[in-house]
Amino acid sequence: MAKRRIRSLWVFHLNTGACNGCDIEVLDVLTPFYDVERFGIKLVGSPRHADALLVTGPLTRQSYYAVKRTYEAMPPEPRMVVAVGTCACSGGIFYDSYAVHGGIDKLLPVHMYIPGCPPRPEEILFGIAQLLNIVEKRVRAKVVKVESPKPEVDPCERLWLDLREELRKVVGYFDRDRILSEFKEMVLEAYRSALPFRKLEALVEDYCKSVDDPRLCFCARYLYAKLRELVERYSREGYIVEDLLREAAWRRSGGLSL
Amino acid sequence: MSYVTLPYPFEPVEAPPEYRGKPEIDPKKCIGCGACSRACPPDAIRVEDDLVSGVRRIILDVSRCIRCARCEEVCPTGAIKLTREFELATPSKEDLLQIVEMRLARCSICGKYVGRTVRQIEKAKAVLSPLPRDRLEELLRVMTLCEDCRKRRVAQALQGVPTALLKVWGEVHG
Repeated sequence: MAKRRIRSLWVFHLNTGACNGCDIEVLDVLTPFYDVERFGIKLVGSPRHADALLVTGPLTRQSYYAVKRTYEAMPPEPRMVVAVGTCACSGGIFYDSYAVHGGIDKLLPVHMYIPGCPPRPEEILFGIAQLLNIVEKRVRAKVVKVESPKPEVDPCERLWLDLREELRKVVGYFDRDRILSEFKEMVLEAYRSALPFRKLEALVEDYCKSVDDPRLCFCARYLYAKLRELVERYSREGYIVEDLLREAAWRRSGGLSL
Repeated sequence: MSYVTLPYPFEPVEAPPEYRGKPEIDPKKCIGCGACSRACPPDAIRVEDDLVSGVRRIILDVSRCIRCARCEEVCPTGAIKLTREFELATPSKEDLLQIVEMRLARCSICGKYVGRTVRQIEKAKAVLSPLPRDRLEELLRVMTLCEDCRKRRVAQALQGVPTALLKVWGEVHG
């Protein structure tokens, strides 16, 4: 398609079976805060007046012919199709449903894919701006070949993985990695002293005083209790994790002081 | 300059810190275990094994991703992360793919490619390394076998066992 400047795009919004998430975001884009009308875009009530068809939702069997007739009702030029949302792009979570054909590209030629579940208003604005040749696209397909056979592994990996597994029961993914890395620092700090558990207990208490989020405080105490259990269980299996921890702490402190 | 409208496409905007945007695989950390592909509700991540050339492909299709972060939840190495990137609009769907390729391991007896990557076995070795030596060696021997050789190994181990005992065992375990 030759690049040309489109001045004012009249858009017909068609929901082919979306959950309404994307429709709400489309509505957001029309508010004065995001204000898509400054690009000359206008939502029209009939496909006969529309230059572009904005589709939200997967292509369901129920809506197949309605979409077809809507597309045929549009004027022959420029007949653009914009797929908003993951469902319209590829079928999304409904891709293998018996009632769904897949993305809208199964039936119509799509000019702009805007994935997201739902896409945030900025994402839709970016897509529209790209359609109007204001911005360039940012994403590109990536193919990476991993040749090195050895992944990066921490010496106490098993302990951290077990603690992560315990933490999974009490806290969501978003805070988990942060709490675990902070706790890791505390453990390595504690293993520099002669009585690691007493030191760690003091560190955890200090940490609880310094944060004002009770969840973080709970997680730190929980991890402390679990660490004690795990170290005991490991030693029964003949796996002495404390030596490894001491070594890691020593290596860290040696790197710092020297 | 208006005070109400966001001047977005002309001025950059950052997503909030907890925003779930485009997922990305860190090839340095990924071991190719495929846990993400099992957890992914819309099957946006696929794992394809090429047993002839011995390559495993992990194909992440962002155009099908619903940003639920289940992959981040299950990843044992923290390789897959949802970034805050949101400017994903593109005229062609191929731009939304990310493919990571890595070598498959060979069976230590018959030399065929097995359904595990070399990196997966290296990672398991590193995690299990503090175990007692005899147990570790036994585990490693099983880890690098293909399905057929594994079955043969079990059959060989059971050869000395009397058949009556095997029958009882079969009844107990279905």
